[in-house]
Amino acid sequence: MPIVVNLDVMMAKRKMSLNELSEKVGLTLSNLSILKTGKAKAVRFSTLEAICEVLDCQPGDILEFVE
Amino acid sequence: MKTNIIMKVMNVIFWIVFIGLCIKTGALLVSLFVTLFINSNGAEDTYMGLDLLDIYSFSVEYYIGVASFLIAITAMKANLAYFVIKLFMKFDLNYPFNEKTASLITQMSHYALGIGVVAIIAESYADRIMRQGIDLQIDWGAEQFLFFAGIIYIIALVFKKGVEIQNENELTI
Repeated sequence: MPIVVNLDVMMAKRKMSLNELSEKVGLTLSNLSILKTGKAKAVRFSTLEAICEVLDCQPGDILEFVE
Repeated sequence: MKTNIIMKVMNVIFWIVFIGLCIKTGALLVSLFVTLFINSNGAEDTYMGLDLLDIYSFSVEYYIGVASFLIAITAMKANLAYFVIKLFMKFDLNYPFNEKTASLITQMSHYALGIGVVAIIAESYADRIMRQGIDLQIDWGAEQFLFFAGIIYIIALVFKKGVEIQNENELTI
């Protein structure tokens, strides 16, 4: 898929575990795992907003377009 | 709650329909066997007053042909009723759009089309017999099954689309 999710990179930078992120963002572990492993078909803006707020980053830090 | 009750009632109704059609198929088979090998007067009351004695007297081959079509169509209807029962068993209102349900509905539409085609062939066969002066009033139901097949096929297409949309929704975070 051309859109790559770099959630694990941001999580490592912020030294945050998946469990912690899941609790703070309000998403289930399975949904976050789907996002992290690049299996998600779409991301809601509200979800992206919550993740960026918790990880203190921009959407472009999490999502990358690769040709 | 109300939907669940309706589903349960419909499930029972379709079980009754399925069992009834199985009994009818069996009765027609037995009637054919009795008429051919035991007592030809069996054709007078093939099933629920259906009188095929005139056809039997005119031609045994025609009688076997008509009886075979009747048995085939009734058996196929019973199988279709069983498809509906399987649909009720697998249907889950919490996740209605799934591959198994969509596949079952598609199969049902193909099967109904098959019944319609067989009924059309039976109708033209019956027409050929009637042109020879024999009265044969059987409603084969070809138009009804073709109409049913068309409607179910459209529903199957909608379900397939629903499965796609539901899968995409499940992978939307």
